[in-house]
Amino acid sequence: MSSRVILITGANGGLGQAIARSFLQESPENQIWLGIHARLDDAEKLAAENPGRCRPIALDVTRPDSWKAAVAEILARHEQLDVLVNNAGHHQDALLGAMPLDAWKKILAVNLDGVFHGCQAVLPAMIGRRHGRIINIASLSALLAPAGQTNYAAAKAGVLALTQSLAKEVARIGITVNAVCPGYVDTPALAMDELERKRALERIPMRRFGQPGEVAAAVRFLACAEAGYITGSALKIDGGIF
Amino acid sequence: MNNTELKLQIKRLLVENLMLQTTPEEIADDIPMFGPGGLGLDSVDALQLVVALDKNYGLKISDAEAARGILRNVNTISEAIEQNLSNKAP
Repeated sequence: MSSRVILITGANGGLGQAIARSFLQESPENQIWLGIHARLDDAEKLAAENPGRCRPIALDVTRPDSWKAAVAEILARHEQLDVLVNNAGHHQDALLGAMPLDAWKKILAVNLDGVFHGCQAVLPAMIGRRHGRIINIASLSALLAPAGQTNYAAAKAGVLALTQSLAKEVARIGITVNAVCPGYVDTPALAMDELERKRALERIPMRRFGQPGEVAAAVRFLACAEAGYITGSALKIDGGIF
Repeated sequence: MNNTELKLQIKRLLVENLMLQTTPEEIADDIPMFGPGGLGLDSVDALQLVVALDKNYGLKISDAEAARGILRNVNTISEAIEQNLSNKAP
């Protein structure tokens, strides 16, 4: 497999780390850029373990100028950017009646605006090579919006709509745009107490949480050459929840 | 490169980048890029064209209004490229 340049946002989190490791395992030629903002310890550790193949890069996904600088730095080094994984995400749950406006705006900014800015930042490089893969990490909440997540569910549903619309815009240029919708994935972000975990497991037909590597494998597939005819899709990875 | 050669190069760029079902020689200098009476390009083609002109000639088209003026036909594109080059000349 030839060398590919891959940018993963939110790369310090459990899912971002798993996605990065998956691409590192895919090919020794892959060049991985770990977009990080507030926390960076795990990303720096992963980069240190893979010198010359994996680099952290400062990226505030809510700011277009931050995207511009990050993409310029990547292109200055590689002259190409093949894959963008919009993984950065955050949730701040509250019932709508009690949700502070800031919680609404912040969650929309990170989860939806961030995807918009990211796609806009990488498209010129992908258009220039007539090739690219964009994978957006949405959520099962986009499809089965739970109570207490009006902000997060709306943002992730927006990501699915953006994915479909952009996929149609750039299909003939050789760029695919897809989303994955993870359900309950066993990462630190799940943050549930024992009772909540028990109730969640009762909702999952497979009776187990997903593993970050299982989501990462789907992302890696959507980014591979053999997935070239798949675009605008939203792949559920949820243990069978309907 | 003279103006005729530049226009032919632009036509080749159009055909290759936008996968037009025509030859560079068949594209008239003043045929409109957009609309039914012209080459029939759309907004996605325009986006590709903006990227290709930046990549090949360093011509940066920063906003939609500038794009409307420059991307009218081969003549206006070649004028913008030449203007850009003369602005950069020492």
